[in-house]
Amino acid sequence: MKSFIPEIGCSIPRADGEAKVSGEEKYATDHYGDGLLWAGVRRAGIPHGRIRGLDAGQAKNLPGVIAILTGRDVPGTNRQGIVHKDQPVLCTDKIRHCGDPVALVLAEDRTVLAQALALITVDIEPLPGIFSIDDALRPDAPLVHEEHSGSNVLLAATVDKGNAEEAFSECDVILEETFTVPSVAHAFLETENGIAWQEPDGKIVLVVSTQAPFRDRFEISHALGIPMDRLRIIGPYLGGGFGGKDGATVQCLLVLAAIHAGGRRVKMWWSREESMAAGFKRHAVRMEYRLGAGSDGTLHALKCRLYYDTGAYAHLGGEVMALGMEHASGPYRIPHTLIEGWCVYTNNPVAGAMRGFGVAQVSFAFEGMMDRLAEKLRMDPLDLRMKNALQRGDKNGAGVTMTHSTGIVSCLEAVGSHPLWKGKEQWMAEAPPFKKRGVGVAAVFNAMGYGRGLPDSAIAKVELTAEGKIRVYCGVSDMGQGNATAFFQIAGGVLGQENDAIELVQPDTARTLPSGSASAGRTTYTYGNALIQAAEELRRRIIGRAALMILADTVDELELLPGRVKHLKSGREIPLNILASVMPPEDRICISQFIMPVARDGLETGKAFFIGFPHLLFSYAAHLAAVEMDELTGTLEVKAYLAATDAGRVLNPQSYEQQVHGAIAQGIGYALCEEIKLEEGRILTPDLATFIIPGAMDIPDMMSISVETCETSGPYGMKGAGEVGINGPLPAIAGALAQACGIRVKTAPLTAERILEAMVEQQTACERKPS
Amino acid sequence: MNRVLLPKNLPELWSFLENEPEARVYAGGTDLLVQMRARCADNLVLICLERIAELTGIREDEDGFWIGACTTFRHLLNHPRIREQIPVLAKALSTLGSPPIRNMATIGGNICTASPAGDTLPPLYVLDADLILSTQSGERVVPLSGFITAPGKTQLERGEVLTQIRIKKPEGYRVQHFEKVGQRKALACAIASMAALVKTSPAGVIESARIAWGSVGPTVVVSPDAEAALTGKTLSPAVLEAAADLAGKAMAPIDDIRATAVYRRRVAANLLLRIGT
Ligand SMILES: Cc1cc2nc3c(=O)[nH]c(=O)nc-3n(C[C@H](O)[C@H](O)[C@H](O)COP(=O)(O)OP(=O)(O)OC[C@H]3O[C@@H](n4cnc5c(N)ncnc54)[C@H](O)[C@@H]3O)c2cc1C
Repeated sequence: MKSFIPEIGCSIPRADGEAKVSGEEKYATDHYGDGLLWAGVRRAGIPHGRIRGLDAGQAKNLPGVIAILTGRDVPGTNRQGIVHKDQPVLCTDKIRHCGDPVALVLAEDRTVLAQALALITVDIEPLPGIFSIDDALRPDAPLVHEEHSGSNVLLAATVDKGNAEEAFSECDVILEETFTVPSVAHAFLETENGIAWQEPDGKIVLVVSTQAPFRDRFEISHALGIPMDRLRIIGPYLGGGFGGKDGATVQCLLVLAAIHAGGRRVKMWWSREESMAAGFKRHAVRMEYRLGAGSDGTLHALKCRLYYDTGAYAHLGGEVMALGMEHASGPYRIPHTLIEGWCVYTNNPVAGAMRGFGVAQVSFAFEGMMDRLAEKLRMDPLDLRMKNALQRGDKNGAGVTMTHSTGIVSCLEAVGSHPLWKGKEQWMAEAPPFKKRGVGVAAVFNAMGYGRGLPDSAIAKVELTAEGKIRVYCGVSDMGQGNATAFFQIAGGVLGQENDAIELVQPDTARTLPSGSASAGRTTYTYGNALIQAAEELRRRIIGRAALMILADTVDELELLPGRVKHLKSGREIPLNILASVMPPEDRICISQFIMPVARDGLETGKAFFIGFPHLLFSYAAHLAAVEMDELTGTLEVKAYLAATDAGRVLNPQSYEQQVHGAIAQGIGYALCEEIKLEEGRILTPDLATFIIPGAMDIPDMMSISVETCETSGPYGMKGAGEVGINGPLPAIAGALAQACGIRVKTAPLTAERILEAMVEQQTACERKPS
Repeated sequence: MNRVLLPKNLPELWSFLENEPEARVYAGGTDLLVQMRARCADNLVLICLERIAELTGIREDEDGFWIGACTTFRHLLNHPRIREQIPVLAKALSTLGSPPIRNMATIGGNICTASPAGDTLPPLYVLDADLILSTQSGERVVPLSGFITAPGKTQLERGEVLTQIRIKKPEGYRVQHFEKVGQRKALACAIASMAALVKTSPAGVIESARIAWGSVGPTVVVSPDAEAALTGKTLSPAVLEAAADLAGKAMAPIDDIRATAVYRRRVAANLLLRIGT
């Protein structure tokens, strides 16, 4: 490849592309080693119960079994969890979902491991289970966590402003609807895995597929009682994460295994089925909406009740719900809102973070309400949205003043002027036999960062190496979304160096500095801001130290060029390797921290949230879906898709488009087919043959328009682009379906069966109607 | 550890089968290996049929085709005469699995797996395919329609191997239609499928109709009543709807993770309306 200076705004090739394609780049799964041991978990297989006994006698005697560990072997608190520490590493007494771990086995190879796991018998006394939101909320419901405040409600909260109850009496139209969305899995290619070992000095090293290496260290330390300075976490590039690796999966189990492995390396790698059973999921949610507006379509009052099923453990349930509640009123100006939420424990699989964190769910509801309102008022659905869209200076539904870039109107305008929207009547009229066509739109948004209560911080470290190259120590993971490439561009742009002179170090608690999780659309924003500061400082330093060597009396005549500093007046040059050789190591490293700004409004609402409420910065998008529905089968096909996105300035058009496309494709899966089906807490869709994600043939050509606002607080004006796109497809497609055939589905996903059934109902209703 | 034997010709296959009577034969392995993983099967003897030249390939004669049981779907789809003469089969193959699956999977494997959702089965039913079942000592010809007795169950006897599939050209059947309804466009197990052959007179009167449905019963479902209701009529919506109603009565679908029986029956019958377009 030709050398180039990776600059901001250009579609430079991915920094990790070549190494990944050639196989040189190692994911966590690619790590093995001599004398490798395999670790695996015996899972309960029962949704709710009490452990009466565990017999590992036969398994222990199997040749090749190194150790069998239970909850009693866990040295620390045996509790993990990001906010609430309620999840045991290994269960000692109570089972709360089928995937709960009861024993950890270390074996010489995978065959012995599987045999040993099968030989362990667990005696569990079944308890009545909680398998739905309504079950959980019954006053006499058995408790999933007896120690938790006497109910199954993990968190109940209210977000309000104005006086919604009274405001409904001032509305010309009031609409009500209840929506439900199922739990879904991230279905990343690389399932949860890692490798760990104990060094001769007792320190433990863990290489793991993780979105949050620094938080992992904290969680392991707490759960296993190991001081943080005895733990080193290395987080290579991930083969997908989408939120499912934000939190402990294999981490504590592997470190526990390493303690019993006598210095040998131990590997754990969940099968797809285990990932389904034990991995985190997106929350299933029920959303009861009441929306009031004037006859001209001006939104006036919103009341909603949201119920999140967080499964057996809290994980980030409360925070996911908080973000859902904050977005429950859409990217609209509504003077009166009352949003109530309940996040409940059940004996279902554990729900947690997933791209669109609580927001993908409510987007279906608030946009569904907007479509219903447009229909009721016979208004154009795009005009209705435009009329109510947030503008800078407005207060959003949670009462936060929009003081930063707010591009939703521009996004809607971009969709409105697109041929797909303007030509929709004709396109719909040209539907082939047995097909009905429709075009739908959705306006969505997604907050960035952790919100109040927790510093959204990153610490960048950049080094002029002894060889005169630039090394960036990335403290935040790249799960495929491309932030490492953005860091490459930032370092290249600020320091003017060529691609082969820039090296990226992926997260490693021993080398990089705490920079938070790869999540919340914050990764490039927060670390990027820190990196700009650090790289600028390094640039000043390089020039300043070169001045000493060149005997320049002012730095103004010096320029940092690829591989060298040049004194422009005299033409003298100092190669960076020579310069580096006279700089002591500590002088060659620059470190800088950045903390995301926070909302300043003094809100009197959302008091129940410990952290994660409210937010200041949002990305916006308007989506258009053109669909064709088959009247004979109910099958819905997305024929064309358009996304207009405001994620601030674009640092790399290619990475940006990939994020938009990926989010749409994943969102189409959420809209059309993805669903974790459960029966009494057991997963009926345990693999990718039954948990249906879309394939290439289900995804149409996708068009991405960037509505570039400038987010002045962001690095080069950018905002997060990773999440907002997943919120649009479900509502846009549901709207398009209604346009096509008048059917408004309230339950996702919009499967052919649901649609055909609704059509039959519609027909019978028509036939029954007296003419 | 499983042991895999790789016979290179039929005589070698017969001797392997004689020495290892418990052995399982397989061709592409796209069904067998998936089942073995699910059952954690170990210590089996497997006989792979894919290198036996006599079992792969397509031969055309005057009135039809001889297809080796181990011919892959890719091979069949690449064959211009198959695409031209029996599009009902080619259409089914093009919806089966994904490109990698079609490269591995074989027509004989699809038949012997005897899944209610096997995508080649409805077309092979309407084509009246015959199967050649062979052992060391000889062979017999059985019609496909009686071969599959229940899900996963066939008339194959111990030591017997499916060697050839015989398909006669459907002369005069201008309408050759296949459609599958799945949960997504590719890599989808049929919720319902339908293959249809219709022969019409120059005036548009149906002279003969052969229709078969997949995934709506323990094996492929046919409906002589529906076929009779079409014969002598034209392909009008009213005629097709009446036949679809009759067809629905012949089906005995089940509820499973992919769909309910109600939907299966409804959608399978509806598919018949498509042949009018
Ligand atoms: C990801 C995936 C997607 C799939 N999608 C589809 C689909 O869309 N539609 C569909 O119909 N199927 C599908 N299948 C199932 C499978 O690919 C087909 O049934 C295929 O035709 C099987 O052929 P094979 O050669 O691989 O069979 P094998 O796995 O080799 O054999 C299957 C069975 O038949 C027996 N057998 C094979 N050949 C012979 C023979 N000559 N004589 C006697 N017995 C024999 C074997 O003993 C075994 O019991 C899919 C499978 C996978 C893994």
